[in-house]
Formats: sequence, structure tokens, C-alpha cells
Amino acid sequence: MHISEGILSGGVLIAGWAGTLAGVSVGLKKTNPDKIVKVALLSSAFFLASLVNVKIGPSSTHLSLLAPMGLILGWAAFPAIVVALLLQAVLFHFGGLLVLGVNAFIMGISAVSVYLLFGEKIRGTGSKIYSFIAGALAVMIAALLVGLSLGLTDGNFLTAAKLIILVHLPLSLIEGLATMFIISWLKRVSPEFLS
Amino acid sequence: MILLFAIIYALIISLSNSLFCLVIESLLPVIILINCPGNLKSLVKLNALNLFMIMTLALTWPNFREGVIMGLIITWRLNLIYIIFAGVIAKLGFTGIYAALVRFHVPEKLRILLLLTMRGIFIMNNRLDSALIALKLRAPEMKFMTRLKTFGYITGNILLQSESRSEKMLQAIKCRGGFEGFNQL
Repeated sequence: MHISEGILSGGVLIAGWAGTLAGVSVGLKKTNPDKIVKVALLSSAFFLASLVNVKIGPSSTHLSLLAPMGLILGWAAFPAIVVALLLQAVLFHFGGLLVLGVNAFIMGISAVSVYLLFGEKIRGTGSKIYSFIAGALAVMIAALLVGLSLGLTDGNFLTAAKLIILVHLPLSLIEGLATMFIISWLKRVSPEFLS
Repeated sequence: MILLFAIIYALIISLSNSLFCLVIESLLPVIILINCPGNLKSLVKLNALNLFMIMTLALTWPNFREGVIMGLIITWRLNLIYIIFAGVIAKLGFTGIYAALVRFHVPEKLRILLLLTMRGIFIMNNRLDSALIALKLRAPEMKFMTRLKTFGYITGNILLQSESRSEKMLQAIKCRGGFEGFNQL
């Protein structure tokens, strides 16, 4: 999901940073200072969980957990994602510092979108279906935005962009299932956590 | 200052398309690499991952040869930018980066979030590791759906633990004078 350094054009990089700055300012504005500690520890838990290898047949994958982040943190997911991606870039060299703006915007907007669409619905009945759709949708939004960023950089990237979207289809189903299990477990064990 | 210079230099590299410019821009990263040969190991790892990207570009670009060249140019840029930032991060260290964030007027809330997230990663890492080791010992082999369900439950459990831990942490921070202490770093 991370776009590497040196691929995107200047215009896309600037647009990504502008979007991220806007998202982060809204996210920080909506986060009460007393909630900062909670957001930090939850985002560190998401960061660690997203590094766990989940075996799929002979291969394995890391889940992005964008939807649970959005559904639990709301707008605070934006600054949390920026911090997580910054740490990933510095510690593991995933992505990079220049493309941080674009990567953070792609993931942040996906997380916030599912929060706006399903944030209330997962608290009511039918939460399993809604959380599954939210998980799958977040990944697909992110994949579409990655494709769009590549397509806007150079028209020749379009085939690669389509391939990326195609590859993310089965991943979105897995993310949907993981989101469904996380939300249903939280709802069963600690319903007040989601409120 | 050094971080700002690195960002501008990396931006120039990122936007360079001609080979001549990239050769000229390689001078500084080469000097950094000679002074910090430790980065070579991670560069090998980085380029091994990048082989997949070059292959994808070569196979999806309208012209195979052009695709390979584009992949190599991107790899070149990626290496140069990586060396620049790795050099700066090694030079500044974490406190230097934090000081740079203060000078760039990064909002205080975001800086505190960064510090606490780093601390949280160290705290929660032990708990997650214990849960994963226990899982391996109890059920080394699982069906895919059971594995995914277990992953979901472990994640949910870690989230609940981190929430209760955050309450205690907030109380401790308040007892020590609130978030003012973070500004003295």
C-alpha cells in the first residue's frame, strides 16, 4: 500500500501534503487534549497489530487495519496514521518522508471515510455486516487512491495502477473479515469501548 | 537547518528526470555513504524489495525497455533519497528530530502524540508478543478462518488493554504537571 520515494510527480506530492495537513488539522481540532494519551496508545496497538504476519496459504500478509482505526478513533485516525507512517518510514524504511503526505492522505481519508459512513451503524444491529463492508471498502478506497496518484503522475503507470487495484481485491475481503472479528469481539466484551 | 536542506535536496532528486542531473545529484549521497558505510546493508534490503517494482513496471509499461529504464531511474532516486534521510536521521538522532519538529512549528498535540505513540509501542509490544507466543504454543496449526478470527480477537484484546493503560498513563501525566513537561524536551 505504501508508495515508494521517487515515483510521484511534484504536483501529486504537493496535493498529498495539502490534503494531509487539512486532515491532520481537523483531526487534532476534534481531539480533546485529555484523549491524546488514549489515541497514542490505541494507535501504537494498531501499529503493532499491523506488523503481525497473517498466514494465507503458502504466503503471508500484513493487515493495514485502516477500517478499525477509522471506526474506533474517528477523525483522530488522521494524525494517528501520520505518526504511524512517520515511524514506519524512519524505523523500517516503508514508504518515505517525502511521500509521507501522499501515503498519509490515502490511508487517512480511507479510514475517515468508513468512519463517516459506518461509524454509527456498527453500534447498532447488523454490525457484523457493516464492519465487514467497512473493512473491505477502506482497502479498496486506498487502492483506488494509490492507482489515481500513479495515474496522475504518468499515464504509462495506468496498467500498473489497475494491477494494484486488482491485487487489493482479495486483500480487501481478508481485511473485511478481520475488521468484522475485531469489532464483533469489542462489541461483545466491552460495548462501551465503541461508544 | 540540516533537515530542511535534506528535504529540499530530496525534493530536487525526486523531481529530476534526466540521467545527467541524477549523476550530479549523486555526489552528496555518495559522500554520505562513504562516511556511513553501515547504510549499505539496509540499501541491499531496500533494493531487493525494489526488484519487484522494476519487474512490474517493465511488464506493464507500453514498451518493455522503457519500463526497465523507468524502474531503474526510480530505484536510483529512491536510493539517493534514502541515503540522504538515513544520514540526517543518524546525525540528528531522535532528540534532534524532535527539536526540528518544534522549529517547523509542528502542532504540540501532534508532537506529544508522536512521543506517546513511540512509548506505547514499547509498552504494548511485550503484551502482543506474549499473546502471540501463547497462541503459537496452544495452536501451532490453524485453519485460515480460525487464524483470522484469533488475530481479530487478539487485536481487540490489545486495544482494550491499551485503553485501560492510557487511563493510568493520563493520570500519571496529570500528577506530574500535565503536558507542560513535554515542552521541556
